[in-house]
Amino acid sequence: MGDLFTDTIVISVLAATIRIATPLILAALGELIAERAGILNLGVEGTMLMAAFAAFIGAYATGSTLMALLLAVLAGMAMSFIMVFMAATLKVEQVVTGLALNLLAAGMSLYLYKAFFAVEGQAMPTVAVMPVAPIPFLSEIPYIGPILFTQKVLTYVALLMVPVVWFFLYRTKYGLEIRCLGENPKAIDTKGMSVSLRQYGAVMAGGALCGLAGAFVTIGSSARFVPDITNGRGWLALVIVIAANWRPSGILIAALVFAFLDALQLQIQGIGVQMPYQIFLALPYVLAIVLMVLKSRRGRSEEPARLGVPYFRGER
Amino acid sequence: MGLRLEPRLAPSARWQAVSVAVALLAALAVSALLLESAGTDVGVAFAAILDGAFGGLRTTAKTLAKATPMILTGLAITVAFRAKVWNIGAEGQLFAGAMASYWLYTLTGPALGMALLPLLFAAGFVGGGLYGGLAGWLRSAFRVNEVLTTVMLNYVILYLLSFLLVGPWRDQSSFYQQSERIDRAAWLPDLWAPGKLHLGFLVAILAAVAIHVVMNRSWFGYEVKAVGLNARAARFKGINVERTAVAVMVLSGGLAGLAGMIQVFGVNHRLESDISLGFGFTGIIIAVLAMLRPGWVVFVAILFGGFENGGIKMQVATGAPSAIVSAIEAITLLFFLTAAALTRFRIVWRST
Repeated sequence: MGDLFTDTIVISVLAATIRIATPLILAALGELIAERAGILNLGVEGTMLMAAFAAFIGAYATGSTLMALLLAVLAGMAMSFIMVFMAATLKVEQVVTGLALNLLAAGMSLYLYKAFFAVEGQAMPTVAVMPVAPIPFLSEIPYIGPILFTQKVLTYVALLMVPVVWFFLYRTKYGLEIRCLGENPKAIDTKGMSVSLRQYGAVMAGGALCGLAGAFVTIGSSARFVPDITNGRGWLALVIVIAANWRPSGILIAALVFAFLDALQLQIQGIGVQMPYQIFLALPYVLAIVLMVLKSRRGRSEEPARLGVPYFRGER
Repeated sequence: MGLRLEPRLAPSARWQAVSVAVALLAALAVSALLLESAGTDVGVAFAAILDGAFGGLRTTAKTLAKATPMILTGLAITVAFRAKVWNIGAEGQLFAGAMASYWLYTLTGPALGMALLPLLFAAGFVGGGLYGGLAGWLRSAFRVNEVLTTVMLNYVILYLLSFLLVGPWRDQSSFYQQSERIDRAAWLPDLWAPGKLHLGFLVAILAAVAIHVVMNRSWFGYEVKAVGLNARAARFKGINVERTAVAVMVLSGGLAGLAGMIQVFGVNHRLESDISLGFGFTGIIIAVLAMLRPGWVVFVAILFGGFENGGIKMQVATGAPSAIVSAIEAITLLFFLTAAALTRFRIVWRST
């Protein structure tokens, strides 16, 4: 009897870990592609927030999950278009641009939500949350089934994107070109290939992934939109990229570590253990700092040499 | 054939002025569209904002009071960004300063009266400075990106505050997460009571003057500028870049901490999460729009203080959410960045 009880808890914590890791994996992979192309996109949080809001609007207006996802992806790409236009074309300081995007998303989503949805004296509008989609047969495997194969479609997409992004970056011509942009953009330019065109492609593809990450935060998890619903997940995605040493497989591991912590916290709160809950909520952010310190002390960094440095033709 | 951007050899002052004006107008136009789309009468809304910001002596005084913490966070960001140290943690440092000064107050009580004030100011500065310095030290000792550490520290301190406000510092008589009210003897004295203008405004102005002098007339200011322009060259010149970065973060965090102390003892009169309305983040916009010049920081912060108060008036007058103000501020920043970049280039037609 006791064993059965602990089994249920372990399975529920691990299943929650995979679920919570979904937006982190998607956003971190998106950021990885941008950073490999030499663009430090600090606007992940804002990009996710706008996409989360767009998904909510889409689901509210059409009732269709597909339309909601499409809108979220478009919002993610629009936000990252601003980022890459300022960074690659205008060569504005990338840190400042990314921050501006976050502030824009916070202000815009709050205003639009209050202007159109939060009508005084009425119930908060809700949308249908994406259903769990168990994979036939696989979901019946003991332990692994309920953990890995009883998730939402976006979670499967996120897990699949890890090898897909790896294959793209390390096994295709375009991936090689993008990685080259982060190390030596001059090499691309000298071959007569457009540096900025590739940066636009990389950053906007990353924005699309961030869009999916944002969609999972609203229609994937919550029936309601609340201001600042992303609550730092975009920032954690940036930390995950560093902790992962700019590798897709590392992103999977780092995202799972953060998600496990969160899942554990939910479980402990659910059982009703007497501990100040604030300690658990602060833990991921403390862990993030610890991870970055540890990361700096060991091994060779895969950080792109030209991360955040604009490319000017004719530079030496 | 197509449009190309070519770098200008020297920025053209004329175009710089023109583009800043265009950026402001463009931001206003977008805001008008946003208001219009929600069915708000744009004319009425803008008039209400202006009236709520600077319509009369008393409203203007309230605007100055609102601007006070933003002057200080704007200065905090100015100091950091001049060295290209990207402090995104002014919000957290503001709370660290507020908590440090409140902690001192719980130890001494209001018995000291006015003699307590300088100590409270010092505690606010030290609290924010230490919290900022922590990120600076992590950057210099471990080469950890300060953008990410300061953001993480923002979250950490808010949870610490929440923990303290439900635990040891809780106001037992209230349902909300807030401390007990501070004794009137320890409040910041009023400069002009009808406009709720308190001593903090004077402190913020003095801080702006001090930062102007330090940044433009002192060896430290020179070092900061050198590190910001070219850290490598600064190192060759014998400047200790790591130490400068830590010092910059301490000064920056200290200024933000002062803002927190001023909010607790001058405005809210208790410790609660409402002491900041995102002033640490607004400070970023203010500093960039002010082109990292302390005098302009004061000007832009007062303008933004007017926006914040005007936004509330607009919400009352039209029903449109006052959140439009944060949207306007961010849009202005984006247009300004674009315009400022364009002045560094000229657009040419190429037929290659």
